[in-house]
Amino acid sequence: MSFPFRTSGLLCAVLLLMLSACGPSQQPENHSPDWDHPYPPESGGTLIDAMTGEPSGLIPMIAGESAASAVASNIFNTLLKYDKNLELEGELAQSWQVSPDQKTITFTLKPDMKWADGAPLTSADVLFTWKLVTDDNTRTPYGADYKLVIKAEAPDPLTFRVTYEQPYAPALDSWAGLQVLPEHILKGQDINTTSFARKPVGSHYYQLGEWKNGERIALVRNPNATQGQARIDRLVSRFIPDPASQFLELMADNIDTMSLSPIQYARIFPAREELNRKIALYKELGNAYTYLGFNLKHKPFDDKRVRQAINYAIDKQELIDGVLLGLGEPVASPYKPGTRWTNPDLRPYSYDPEKAKALLREAGFADHDGDGILDRDGKPLAFEILTNQNKQREMSAVLIQRRLKEIGISVNIRVLEWASFIGRFIKTGEFDAVVLGWSLSLDPDQYGIWHSSQQAPGQFNFIGYNNPRVDRLLEQGRLELDPDKRMKIYHEFAATLLEDSPIVYLFAGYGLPAIHKRVKGIDNPAPPAGIGHNSYEWYIPAPLRRNEISAQ
Amino acid sequence: MSRAMRNPLAFWGLVIIAIVLALALLAPVLAPYDPDAIDVKSILLPPSTAHWMGTDGLGRDVFSRMLFGSRISLLVGFVAVGIATLIGVILGAISGYYRGWVDVLIMRLVDVMLSIPTFFLILAVIAFLTPSIWNIMIVIGLTSWMGVTRLVRAEFLSLREREFVLASATLGARDHRLIFRHLLPNSLTPVIVSSVLGVASAVLIESGLSFLGLGVQPPQASWGNILTEGKEYIQFAWWLSFFPGMAILLTVLGYNLLGEGLRDALDPRTNGKGKK
Amino acid sequence: MIRYLLKRLFWMVPLLIGISLISFFIMHLAPGDITTTEAGFNPKASEESRQKLRELYNLDKPLIVQYGLWLKRMGTLDFGTSFASHQRPVFWEKKDDQGNVNPGMIQEALPVTLLINVLSLLLIVVIALPLGVISAVHQNRPPDRAITVFVFVGFAVPGFWLALILMYWLGVVNPWLPISGLHGLGHENMGVLGRLWDLGKHLAIPVFISALSGLAGISLFVRNGMLDVLHQDYITTARAKGLPENTVIYRHALRNALLPLITLLGLSIPGLIGGSVIAESLFAIPGMGKLFYDAVLMRDFPVIMGILTIGAALTLLGNLLADLAYAWADPRVRRGVVQ
Repeated sequence: MSFPFRTSGLLCAVLLLMLSACGPSQQPENHSPDWDHPYPPESGGTLIDAMTGEPSGLIPMIAGESAASAVASNIFNTLLKYDKNLELEGELAQSWQVSPDQKTITFTLKPDMKWADGAPLTSADVLFTWKLVTDDNTRTPYGADYKLVIKAEAPDPLTFRVTYEQPYAPALDSWAGLQVLPEHILKGQDINTTSFARKPVGSHYYQLGEWKNGERIALVRNPNATQGQARIDRLVSRFIPDPASQFLELMADNIDTMSLSPIQYARIFPAREELNRKIALYKELGNAYTYLGFNLKHKPFDDKRVRQAINYAIDKQELIDGVLLGLGEPVASPYKPGTRWTNPDLRPYSYDPEKAKALLREAGFADHDGDGILDRDGKPLAFEILTNQNKQREMSAVLIQRRLKEIGISVNIRVLEWASFIGRFIKTGEFDAVVLGWSLSLDPDQYGIWHSSQQAPGQFNFIGYNNPRVDRLLEQGRLELDPDKRMKIYHEFAATLLEDSPIVYLFAGYGLPAIHKRVKGIDNPAPPAGIGHNSYEWYIPAPLRRNEISAQ
Repeated sequence: MSRAMRNPLAFWGLVIIAIVLALALLAPVLAPYDPDAIDVKSILLPPSTAHWMGTDGLGRDVFSRMLFGSRISLLVGFVAVGIATLIGVILGAISGYYRGWVDVLIMRLVDVMLSIPTFFLILAVIAFLTPSIWNIMIVIGLTSWMGVTRLVRAEFLSLREREFVLASATLGARDHRLIFRHLLPNSLTPVIVSSVLGVASAVLIESGLSFLGLGVQPPQASWGNILTEGKEYIQFAWWLSFFPGMAILLTVLGYNLLGEGLRDALDPRTNGKGKK
Repeated sequence: MIRYLLKRLFWMVPLLIGISLISFFIMHLAPGDITTTEAGFNPKASEESRQKLRELYNLDKPLIVQYGLWLKRMGTLDFGTSFASHQRPVFWEKKDDQGNVNPGMIQEALPVTLLINVLSLLLIVVIALPLGVISAVHQNRPPDRAITVFVFVGFAVPGFWLALILMYWLGVVNPWLPISGLHGLGHENMGVLGRLWDLGKHLAIPVFISALSGLAGISLFVRNGMLDVLHQDYITTARAKGLPENTVIYRHALRNALLPLITLLGLSIPGLIGGSVIAESLFAIPGMGKLFYDAVLMRDFPVIMGILTIGAALTLLGNLLADLAYAWADPRVRRGVVQ
């Protein structure tokens, strides 16, 4: 019978296809330029990156998603910004002054600034933007900070003044987050529905060139930019939802930059010499930490001993090694490691299963029925960890599940997509524990996350944390403008939080950008503000540009 | 059946299915490791004598996970097809036996369900309910019964006119006796064929849902989610996508060959000798 | 023919009602009401927008009234605007007060998906026809077996896996084809031929992957149809008359075997409009599958309902066309001799 041969022949063909696809690339690189050759700075060229999602609009206060703010941050200016060392400096503002009673801030704008369409940019635009973000008709979640302003005024075109009811320490940080919109275009329009969201006019380095739905957004240099001229002519963001496809595009040289996963960074790149020849890897301090959060309104998580026991039972180093391949740091306070607000005396809970067991015994848990799971009052110590579709969080949950099983806690994992996760579990409070992340803000104020007043559905303190001492510290911290005193307050806050263990800090992963070597002018190693802080100084020397682009 | 086995395609299909079933049943005996045993010191190791199919991103043994994963993938296939067949046979029988407005109603329902892209329906329902393996099986079942309904109805319609049925009916046999003694047993052949083919589709749908992150929950292994993990590293950790990919391919192929072979063997028109 | 057409049109009414019921049911499948699943932390905006949504969808009214209103929206093809902050029209373009034309979401995604699927259907027919005929002619002999195994392997291979292998192989190792997306970067500056070439290169792998999985169905259908016909009396007669075997097969048998294919193609329309969620997200193609999946993830109910309804309605239309074509080709159907 000839047939079996045919099958196996076919299988062999598939196998061969696989193997040849998997073998290292034999592509001769003779014709490729020397990517490491230094060139002097020059203008021009196109930088292509990839985004997993498409912005729904380019007014960040309305759109909300990260894709929107990533694009909009190249189009709109803020009054202040953080420099490479994370100190505040002026962007639209030349200078600012805080009044002696610390309630009023006066910003002086840089002179002769223009919008991309040539209209003058003045303090009236800033005032207009403030009115928009605090307007009750504006559908934005970002209004809270600005509503604390009781009076805002623009006495002359270069002066913008805000007055608070009482001193508000995070005020300056908040003005580094509000992107200024043009009054002359938006006046009288409904900000929620305006077509401006799809054809924005800004004042920053770039303006919108082309937006092809579902495919890409292209930004072109803004000749009227308020902060001088960027060197690269065009920024193209392609929408590629699948990270595996993004990586293939990076390897094929169709995109210039993407964020790598730890595996790609630590395993694939070292094994692929030809990739290292043309692509440079960077490492920057992560902007977020991952945590295991308890629903403090559910038993047994109202018991501090149980929370601490779980904290001791989780091996954070194992998480960093297993999930991040070592490319991350343990955290013990909710701030960027190494910055001023991080309390240097705090250490994460050590991995100590014996101590965990002792704490649980103390809390009344023992294995009475001999099933291997601890119980108390006839109820087994079992709970469900919810997380969203995020590979690192999923892997963390699996590792946690294993470690907790070893001390007699039964854990079930449920992975949900974001909408169900938020809508049906977080907002309703119907969960036991979550693995999630918080991004690390530069201002230490975390009132929204930890203050007991912030527990309404849709607010950030969804774990139901209520600690009078923490409440008091958070309130003090907002009133204190002296950096040193403020630092002490937040160091104490972090210490209290760590001891109380309402969440288990798991890790803060590094950001792992890969950028094609044709892009020059990148600061390496990355400063505290990250690799992108001087992206307007990046340049692509003409000999290294793509062919298709030079045709433009 | 024996005629089907003379068809080499059906034979090899059956062999593949038998091997996969045996591996699934014997998974606890055959698996060299606990499929959920994590070892962060041996992440993404290539195949070796210690790990025949290498290890995954958490250092788990891929071979052991493949064995246990086969249980999930097959369970999804069988249960989903079971549900679909049950619904299909009941509705098809009602439709074909009673005819009239019941038939019209059921057939319109079939048309409606067929006009909506199935995978869309599954996606919407899975995402609105929370994903769990049971929901997946139920939803696949609830969205794939239409073919069986049509088949059973057609068989009933033609069988009703046959002499032996007409004879029983004139002798005063009751509905349920007619249905269960005469009609149903005689219309099962195409149902079996379509069920066998249905298992193949269900296995593929499960892997698709896993790709979208709506599959079985971790740490549970299924072929679909091992393959999905492997897609990120297809150029580097090829073993993570190759083995589950081949397993899915061979299993689905096996069911298709068996199903098609059965159809060929049991269908008098296509088995070569029959000239009408 | 007119009577047949009217009859068929009449039959579509209950189907449309059925579709409206199913999509209505799905909308109410989400626990709570659709306004509770808004994605995102947003304490202030949520209550306000929820109230607005409740009014928009009349969720405060009794179910039967809601259903009636939904039917009305369906009848007028008014699916409203997306829940996403861009609030684009779901189905067709609308002009705002400043004269900006806002293209509809389905309006943009449908042609992309249709193009890919029509191309893949063409490819399928072109490959499957000869395969099916060869299979039938060599029934149960090695060529038949080999073809059967081949088309089934095509069906059985997990598409996204093969797609990634091809993307790597043809896009990275041998950079012949683009990996993802629909248009190259300089697309606007190309001539018509250049654009077609560019589009063709982008669609090559997606169309191939999509065609591969559909090969089995059609080629087996052709095979079995051919076998059916080859055993008919008139073929025997033709052979008896001493006509050459090729003439028998291609002139007489194939023509008749192809007729039912029309119906089968009609049945494949849901797939044509549906698009593949997985392939479109892998290849970054902005088609119906991706639109639908994003809408599901965002709980963008107007888009979900719009796609389900429009998709189903177009399917019905397609089936109608297929039936008409069949009736036109086979007068027995027209006269109601054969169902």
